[in-house]
Amino acid sequence: MLEISGLRARYGEHEVLRGIDLMLEKGDSLAVVGESGAGKTTLGLSIMRLAGARLEGNMVFDGMNLLELSDEEMRRLRGDRMAMVFQNVEDALDPVYTAEEQVCEAIAAHNKWSRERIRERARALLTAVGLDEMRYQLYPHQMSGGERQRVLIAMALANDPDLLILDEPTASLDALTKADIVELLRSATSDRISIIITHDISLASALSKRMAVLYSGMIMEMGRTADLIREPKHPYTRGLLRSFPSMNTTKDLQGIPGRTIPRIGGCPFHPRCTQRIEICAREVPRPEELNGRLIACHRGGIVPLLEIRDVCKFFSSFPAVSHVSLTLYEGETLALVGESGSGKTTLAKIIMGLIEPDSGEILLEGERARWDAGFYRRVQMIFQNPKESISHRLNVLQAVREPLDVQRIGSEEERVARAMKALESAELSTDPEFLRKYPHQLSGGEAQRVAIARALVMHPKLLIADEPTSALDPSVQAKILRLLMDLQERMGLSILFITHDIALARKVSDRIAVMLRGSIVEEGPSGEVLREPAHQYTASLVECASICTRMAWETHVLD
Amino acid sequence: MAIHMPILIRRCDAVIKMDLIWLSNYAISFLLILILNFVLPRMMPGDPLHAIYGEEALISMTPEMEAEIIKRFALDQPWHAQLITYITALLSGDLGYSYYYRTGVTDVILGFLPWTLLLTGLAFVISSSAGVILGIESGYRRGSKLDGCMLSGMMFLGGMPDFFIGIVLLLLFGVTLGWAPLGGAVSPYAGHEGIDLVLDIAHHLVLPLISLVLVQIAPTYLLTRNAMLNTLRARFIMTAKATGLGEGAIRYRHAGRNSLLPVVTAMGMRVPNMITGTLFLEIVFSYPGVGTLLNTALSARDYPLIQGVLLIVTVTVLTTNFLVDMTYVRLDPRVRYAR
Repeated sequence: MLEISGLRARYGEHEVLRGIDLMLEKGDSLAVVGESGAGKTTLGLSIMRLAGARLEGNMVFDGMNLLELSDEEMRRLRGDRMAMVFQNVEDALDPVYTAEEQVCEAIAAHNKWSRERIRERARALLTAVGLDEMRYQLYPHQMSGGERQRVLIAMALANDPDLLILDEPTASLDALTKADIVELLRSATSDRISIIITHDISLASALSKRMAVLYSGMIMEMGRTADLIREPKHPYTRGLLRSFPSMNTTKDLQGIPGRTIPRIGGCPFHPRCTQRIEICAREVPRPEELNGRLIACHRGGIVPLLEIRDVCKFFSSFPAVSHVSLTLYEGETLALVGESGSGKTTLAKIIMGLIEPDSGEILLEGERARWDAGFYRRVQMIFQNPKESISHRLNVLQAVREPLDVQRIGSEEERVARAMKALESAELSTDPEFLRKYPHQLSGGEAQRVAIARALVMHPKLLIADEPTSALDPSVQAKILRLLMDLQERMGLSILFITHDIALARKVSDRIAVMLRGSIVEEGPSGEVLREPAHQYTASLVECASICTRMAWETHVLD
Repeated sequence: MAIHMPILIRRCDAVIKMDLIWLSNYAISFLLILILNFVLPRMMPGDPLHAIYGEEALISMTPEMEAEIIKRFALDQPWHAQLITYITALLSGDLGYSYYYRTGVTDVILGFLPWTLLLTGLAFVISSSAGVILGIESGYRRGSKLDGCMLSGMMFLGGMPDFFIGIVLLLLFGVTLGWAPLGGAVSPYAGHEGIDLVLDIAHHLVLPLISLVLVQIAPTYLLTRNAMLNTLRARFIMTAKATGLGEGAIRYRHAGRNSLLPVVTAMGMRVPNMITGTLFLEIVFSYPGVGTLLNTALSARDYPLIQGVLLIVTVTVLTTNFLVDMTYVRLDPRVRYAR
């Protein structure tokens, strides 16, 4: 019923929409999400032909090509067949007319009815949107944000439109009012085509069946809302979800590096993308559909970095690792949780090539791992006890540059420079006195940071962190974890985080895999695994963590 | 409903209270003007009689007249008695005695005031409505040829002094082309009646009126145009467009109506300026209004008459401002409750 193809919008030289394709049937609801400046509002206004931009492409609404209609024909559609609900900003309603007058006007614009009939309809609408009868005669400045939003909704619904566009309909509302409005919008959007423009992921998931992620005027990813939120496939979608506080995710908030750079060639997201390759800066990716998901990315979305396929390892006849399959994607943290002896460290050692698996295979970036120099350039490991993992005969500088020396990378100066940079990334001092210190002169936190710097000096893509903070004070642990997450945000570092502490895993991981007696018993997005553990063992781990917290709380309160 | 009644009553109380405060502001201004009018001549050095009437008038006065005046203004009484006399006299419409016209000041002014009211009132209505309409149309078409032409034309007009435009028009249409009379408000001794009289009055009025309108239209136009540009950026304009309203409704009902608010405020402030303009133009066109009267009074040093004219002018300004305020309140609901 609404078919948009190749829609481009230009303000002067600046192209705000660069080829949008959408297809919506009656009853469809599509959320358009993205950062400000992505062109979301322009898209909404362009469909109404109110954007004031030069439009190209095709927009067919109910058999009419909207771009070919005259201004008068378009005016007759607006507010009648298609309507828009604006954000309840202070001046979204005309300050000099009452709520009822404005709704009446919206009805009268398309109907030649008697005054009484219009008034009757307006009052029915205002009642339907839940505005108190006492407030019909109020002026916009006398109403709360929520009430103004209701009036705006009533105005949009005035002539029972087939297409409803909602532009940030709940921004700047408090949580309870927002819940009310969302409830109202849910009923208002059923049985029409609705487009919800928002940066609020929770609103998008409440109101839409499908979701399109817009960046610099391009749809980067589109698919079923629930799928997109549970399993984002485009790096930008994942970045958006990670920056949005939600009750379903447990990982600390992370942002997206950099900011939107307008008017650049290639994929618009490439300067901020951590998995960009050479082609990304050169060519605009074409949206491609795969299993009902549309993705515009030269790399086909977030790439799997490490694939563990059906790996088994027996110590004599004891299965230390049995039939383990896991995939770790670029820029994500996978927490491997389990009690001691469950085979976590064995698995890590298999990945690192320190133990040969009996069967199965390890793939790095789609190729079988050969554990050669190239492998260790991309994969590094941090161990539980840093003081033991760094040779006591090496000082800080020597320890950090050692991997470069071993791999014979760069000249002498370059190695020192890279070591210094790695130390800075790990938030360590680079003054000569510190560089000359030996492990025994360092605190636990410093030593672990040196170990991290040593791992980072190779610019690895994957970091295997085996209980990296269990020997540290909580305050130091918090800083180290923050550091790892920052590196992940900035450079797209993938982390396999091995821990027995589920509370810790909860805060740092995107996904959790639970290991028990050498097998993965459960795997999924962290929030989901913790909220509804499918396996009995996971449930008991979560339970234990909760009991500890609760006991601590009770002790505290009883004191 | 019953439950809500007290709230409504309370709100009405509040509105009435605000109204009272607002009205009392006008009352205070009025009182201050009266007091100034009373105090100023009495604060001048020497005899208030000299201050009020001036040396020349006194020289030609008989002692009987002088005694009569002293008695009339209670100048031999203490100041509070003088004030009471002054106020009572004012209330009965007595503004004093014009020595030049040899009759009561009130009568003199009443003879001239209608012409000024006719001229200023019409000019005010025409320049305001034309300024607003042109401003709305011009602002709505921002950047178009029409807008550009109007804008530069108005800037040109707005930069000219009022009497200058008057003189140019008088020379062009009165002297050179002879389309309009050179002065006066009616043709003397023509004995016109009914529709002829109206036409005659209009014929005399047209040049001063056009001059005044031309000068006064520019500020209203510029302000309206500017307000339009701002209002058109407001979000409710987009809401109105999305509702599918026609251009006219958006331009006038929404953008225009909201742009009117600053314009109305400015109209009130422009009234004094307009009155000075009228005074000048009346002299240029020898139009028998208060301006000409003031001119005569000034050259004759008829102080009571000057004072009377000034009092009437200030009262007129005050009244107009009051009316403008009333209009504003009707126009802007935000002020209606916040006043």
